[in-house]
Amino acid sequence: MKRKDGVTVAIFVGIFVLLAVALAPFVWNVMTSFKDKGEYFTYPPVFIPSSFDLEHYVQGLRLGGAKGIKDSFIIASLTTLLAIAFGSLAAYALSRFRIGGENFAFWILSVRMMPPIASVLPLFLFFRFLRWLDTYQALILTYALVNLPFAVWMMKGFFDELPVELEEAALIDGCGRLGAFSRVALPLVAPGLVATALFCFMFSWNEFLFALILGRSKVIPITVNIAGLIGGHEILWAEISAVSIVASIPIIVMAILLQRYLVRGLTLGAVKG
Amino acid sequence: MGGLRRRDFWVAFFFVLPVVAILLSISIFPMVYSFYLSLCKWDIGMGGQRVFIGAGNYLRLFSDARFFNSLKNTGRVLLFGVGTQFLLGLALALLLNRSFRGRSLVVTLFLLPMMISPVVVGCIWKIIYHYQYGPLNYLLNRLGFRSVNWLGSGNVSPYSIVLADIWEWTPFMVITLLAGLQAIPDDLYEAARVDGASRWQVFTGVVFPLLRPVVIIAILIRVMDAFKIFDLVVLLTMGGPGQASESVAFYNYLTGFKYFSMGYASAMSYFQLAVIVAIANVFLRSWRGREVA
Amino acid sequence: MRKFLLSLCILFVLSGVVYGAPVKLVVVGDAGHNLKPFEWYAQAIKEKFDVELEVIGVPFGELYEKEKVELIAGTGAFDIMIVFPKFLAEFAANGWLYPLDEFAAELDPKLDDVTPGYRDFYCKYGGKLYALPYDGDVLNLYYRKDLLENEEERKAFKEKYGYDLKVPETWEEYLDVAAFFTRKAGEKLAGEVLQRDFYGTAYYGQKDQIFAWWGNIFASLGGVYFDEETMEPAINSEAGVKALEIMKEIHKYCPPDVLAYGYEELKDVFLEGDCFMVIQWPCVGKKGADPAQSKIVGKIGVSHVPGVKKDGEIYYRAMMPCGRVLAVAAQSKDPKRAYQVIHYLSVVTSLDDVSTPETGLDPYRYSHFAHPEAYEMFANVEDAKIYLAGVQKNMEKGYPEMVLPGTVEYEETLGVAITKALSGEMDPKSALDEAAQAWREILERFGKEQQKALYQELVKGWRAAGLW
Repeated sequence: MKRKDGVTVAIFVGIFVLLAVALAPFVWNVMTSFKDKGEYFTYPPVFIPSSFDLEHYVQGLRLGGAKGIKDSFIIASLTTLLAIAFGSLAAYALSRFRIGGENFAFWILSVRMMPPIASVLPLFLFFRFLRWLDTYQALILTYALVNLPFAVWMMKGFFDELPVELEEAALIDGCGRLGAFSRVALPLVAPGLVATALFCFMFSWNEFLFALILGRSKVIPITVNIAGLIGGHEILWAEISAVSIVASIPIIVMAILLQRYLVRGLTLGAVKG
Repeated sequence: MGGLRRRDFWVAFFFVLPVVAILLSISIFPMVYSFYLSLCKWDIGMGGQRVFIGAGNYLRLFSDARFFNSLKNTGRVLLFGVGTQFLLGLALALLLNRSFRGRSLVVTLFLLPMMISPVVVGCIWKIIYHYQYGPLNYLLNRLGFRSVNWLGSGNVSPYSIVLADIWEWTPFMVITLLAGLQAIPDDLYEAARVDGASRWQVFTGVVFPLLRPVVIIAILIRVMDAFKIFDLVVLLTMGGPGQASESVAFYNYLTGFKYFSMGYASAMSYFQLAVIVAIANVFLRSWRGREVA
Repeated sequence: MRKFLLSLCILFVLSGVVYGAPVKLVVVGDAGHNLKPFEWYAQAIKEKFDVELEVIGVPFGELYEKEKVELIAGTGAFDIMIVFPKFLAEFAANGWLYPLDEFAAELDPKLDDVTPGYRDFYCKYGGKLYALPYDGDVLNLYYRKDLLENEEERKAFKEKYGYDLKVPETWEEYLDVAAFFTRKAGEKLAGEVLQRDFYGTAYYGQKDQIFAWWGNIFASLGGVYFDEETMEPAINSEAGVKALEIMKEIHKYCPPDVLAYGYEELKDVFLEGDCFMVIQWPCVGKKGADPAQSKIVGKIGVSHVPGVKKDGEIYYRAMMPCGRVLAVAAQSKDPKRAYQVIHYLSVVTSLDDVSTPETGLDPYRYSHFAHPEAYEMFANVEDAKIYLAGVQKNMEKGYPEMVLPGTVEYEETLGVAITKALSGEMDPKSALDEAAQAWREILERFGKEQQKALYQELVKGWRAAGLW
């Protein structure tokens, strides 16, 4: 019994240390968001800024941060919905029926492997032809190229983990395939689904190159806006940090709302049986 | 698996149809167009006449030492960066895969590094790494160590980028693997425990084999994304000093969007695509092989 | 001509159909404080020229590619473009910019008032006017006035070097002064014990702009980019190698991480008071006067960059990297009114814009240098005068970036070679030989004959300005 306690303590200490390391740069970012000019690079480094007013937050949001967050939110949530809805369907088909075989699954993944540099200019010309430059749909669809393969393969991994027997039981009980998918398989992989959705959202939220080239003035996602604060002869460090913190709030809120699914208890009631 | 039943085939067909439709309609033109470009000489600095030169750009790649140097740096990120992320992520996922009070909070906190956009991650670490004024060297000095020339030395700067990348992306591994662990039905553990298996035996015999599909995809995704590492390089070192920390995505960006040698840049992209496809194939196959064995 | 007629037609149609409604012109530039004037004068511009402005800010680092992608595709998205001068030739040669001579004949842009560097190198191409200046960047020597005047240090310097401590005017003196002021923590500086290392100097070490710090030395040694007859790269000439050797010497007196230095780091090490002198852009002098950003307010001297002694006179050339000019897109909806707008900003309001701490714009007209009282950021007019006199000296002997299609690639490969020599990876000669070889390849790719013609055209203009 005693040894076990020791192990447990060690584990918690380990978690705590790693957590501290993981959080330190984030805390540094928060502190930076309150710093004034002259506190960024100095010796000794300023750990605690001299004042904690929200000046840089206001300023950062005024300099296009608010619009950037709105644009990014629209784009990221729609592309995530798209990826999750269609991606998990396809993943299920790939996992259970092996449709198209491995090559087909690999083709889907390979779309995501394409280095973005090669596709930026063609996509620019393509969307220009459609008159979709500087629109939400252009970025939503572009990000779908990254997120759909991701969602398909992630979800395929989670479906592969599930024992087939569970759905077979449901099929025998008279559920159709769609029923077996939506009522049995999907709830079981909910943690995976949530994790996948969160990542899709984050990938789209943090993308820069396509956002820069395909947007112009009507659509300016947050990453482009933040990059705009890095001027040639003036870097607005505090505003950059402030906007980045505000911009991370939607994701944090989402993570908190979804954490119930992300890490539910070890007992998956539905599995039993 | 054998042939699908007719009805199942149609179900499966309609399940995959939307994905295929979207991917094809958006990606086919860029793929074909950029592949065509990769066979052309197109330096848009002047006028922009495209000249078809066949494999010329690909041949040029093989005599470009700078390209291979950048591949080496990306390889370093893959090996050390993704490798560490996986090991660290797996360890953390296992640690977090047990109930304790405040676990949800801890998990959410671990996610934070990934929620900051990469541009800002670069900005944060640029200050942290600063030789004279950065907090990292300050703390090292306080602990009695000498200052490290994080960004100004060609021997160190590639690893500084790897370190920042590890910080940013370990949460991805943690969450993905944790989700995988959570999906493993409870009774399997219990059954193994009842059989008297040790903790380690449960892990290697039950947990890891079940987790394998998720492990494969998590590593694959990270490998793919690490191949695109760009923001950190631009913000932390600009690929410097000299070319010491240039990643292949960074060099590709230079050729494409600073030098505007579109043909050459496209060829470089296709070469990378071939490398990633090869890596992915080898990877998937070797894991499948073990699965069968 | 056809383009002009066409635009006249469009103008006619436009003014006929929507008579009374203001023309909407789209401005693109690097995001941040340098776009502010477009907002400040939006109302005035609307009243004066019947023009409504839409301002698009693109991140500084990516302005070039964003503009270029739109220009290549011919989207016609922009009317007025902030362009970095080094891209002007490329944009103009591709026919993406509207030549302004006709408009300039009607509405005088007062180019005689502009320093020769900006007037002749950065606004014209092939004998035609394509842009009006907006932001005058040039490199200047900043040094610590207080330390230079310190009696104790002066005595020690004289003992060691045999001549009086003064603002370095030649590279040899620069090295002496840099070596003299490099101190370790624990040693004394101006009578006080140093808590941490103090550096003689520092430079911009990142490869994207390092060529300019090497270029100051190179140009003062009489270096040129190419042999204009044969189009052989001349960077690995004797002058080039000598310049790089001097730079290697300078490197000894710099912070250990100087190769990671960009604009910010180079500014901070000086304004934190950890470095005796730096060569930097004009805005550093303004920031140095702001107590919120600078620990050395009132202690900064400004002078011309060092050079070489020739016939008893100092021959120096200050590089003019970066800078901003205003151009009109060839596809603009209304080039004439676009010209009126840029004329307004470059001529009418420019003194206000370069002298306010609200923007990062720097002076480029003689009239800007003649009004020290306008520069509010300085505590007193005397400081402003010192600053302006120093910057003006450099402006008048400004040495241009090579303005050719392919400039980015030329400068980048050169920068890589320079850093290789400085990090000790290669010796200066072979590093520059490597860069020259890379230049030959770039030349071939862009078309040697075409580049030669363009280069000769540029040199003609540079010579006319008397700076070549």
